[in-house]
Amino acid sequence: MKAYDLSIPLGPMHPAFKEPLRVKLKTEGEVVVGAEVDLGYVHRGIEKIMRRRPWQKAVFLAERVCGICSNSHNLTFIETLEKISDVEIPERAKYLRLLAQELNRLHSHILANLALFLAIEHETLAMMLLNVRERVLDCQELLCGNRVILSYNVVGGVRFDTTPSILKEILAVIDEIEPKLRRYAEMFEHGPLLRMRTEGIGYMSKREAELAPAVGPIARGSGVRFDWRMKHPDYVDILDFKPVWREEGDARARYMVRFDEIFECIKMIRYLCENMPKGEIRRRAEVKSGEAVHTQEAPRGDLTYFVRTDSFGRIEDITIRTPTIPNLGAFVKYMLRNSPTIADAVVIYASIDPCIACLER
Amino acid sequence: MIGKLKNLVRRKSFHVCLLNVGSCNGCDIEVLACLAPRYDIEQYGIYVHNNPREADVILVTGAVTDQWVEKIKEIYAKVPEPKAVIAIGSCALSGHMFAEGCTHPPVSRHIPVAVEVPGCPPRPQEILDAILSVAPVVFKDYDEKGGG
Repeated sequence: MKAYDLSIPLGPMHPAFKEPLRVKLKTEGEVVVGAEVDLGYVHRGIEKIMRRRPWQKAVFLAERVCGICSNSHNLTFIETLEKISDVEIPERAKYLRLLAQELNRLHSHILANLALFLAIEHETLAMMLLNVRERVLDCQELLCGNRVILSYNVVGGVRFDTTPSILKEILAVIDEIEPKLRRYAEMFEHGPLLRMRTEGIGYMSKREAELAPAVGPIARGSGVRFDWRMKHPDYVDILDFKPVWREEGDARARYMVRFDEIFECIKMIRYLCENMPKGEIRRRAEVKSGEAVHTQEAPRGDLTYFVRTDSFGRIEDITIRTPTIPNLGAFVKYMLRNSPTIADAVVIYASIDPCIACLER
Repeated sequence: MIGKLKNLVRRKSFHVCLLNVGSCNGCDIEVLACLAPRYDIEQYGIYVHNNPREADVILVTGAVTDQWVEKIKEIYAKVPEPKAVIAIGSCALSGHMFAEGCTHPPVSRHIPVAVEVPGCPPRPQEILDAILSVAPVVFKDYDEKGGG
């Protein structure tokens, strides 16, 4: 084992971290040579509480795994149950589900970039993004009736219908925020200060990203051309989805990938609002006994649910695998090798957009 | 004279520290939303940061998980007097749906709580209202009451 000079603990409460987590940085002078991650501060035992409960109760627990990407957890859990019991949902419900999911992804990506800019103390840009995010949350509230925890999907469809006036309002908000976001993205792409803090910091090659294996925007920032939305039938049939990626593999590529995805989200939301079909939103459905594994692209990467149900529609067994686990591994193993100073370690940590509440459940 | 000045200043400017003791991030991002120019928490003289040693008010979110049972008391002890605790969200009040898991709710069992804000998650206006309502009560005439 290599000797190191000093071990610097960050956390469990640290100004740069949104959530409690302890990272012990091993340093040689100013250079970070390794890290230990100490977890378990937000473990609530959600999978344990879910067992032996009817799915109608478990669905509310599933979306409280994480408050930021709550709709992804909800959608993946519901789609796993639908896979078990062969439920087909109406066409309009498919559109509404995609709309809620993309609004959720939009707000999550804006929040991720905002946290990165707060971590590098560029508060003006962070406040601009925070203002835009409020408008997206307004759209979520119009569509689903709540700002953060949406509770929108149920087995067989969605919970509430929407009206043409709400869709028109969402379109108006999208039209309002798109030029703003384009301007900010331009600023982020060419801003010299941001470049100095992020370019070449936390480099991870494509091979390393595949080995780790990093997922989601973090892998796509290193040139991995994969997105679970490519495999999702609704995204392929309705939206003709194409993934975005960047080759550079540093902290800057990771936040620019999120910006590119924000514009993809806006394109999809506009298409869904303009081409919303008419019809029913929910069909009568019954959850049968069986087991299934289902993976979906959450804002941070692959989200996998394994569910086994009994004949009464109760959850017998459930396992959740969230995207932050492999990304945190990639952070410790590969990205920290390219951290010139201790301050850069915080930037790299913010650039992988960790969600500790997801990770520990 | 100095006591009066201190009281005046304390009521108009205080530091807030966010403490996540096992929440789902929902309440935390609503506190973050308070920073947005729409709600603009800083116009009331409230500054949000994450250092308990400089804080006057701690916002606690989440049901208390196993690891936090001892640490929440340590962090509360680190906060200088006068201090107040605001429990945000249903989890901090009662454990909500995590009450049967690896948690020890409510927060008031571990540290004294001044204000409770229910909701899953509460809206930013409600959080702002709670912080503003606690300030005049806790920091008014603090010196005369025998503190500081």
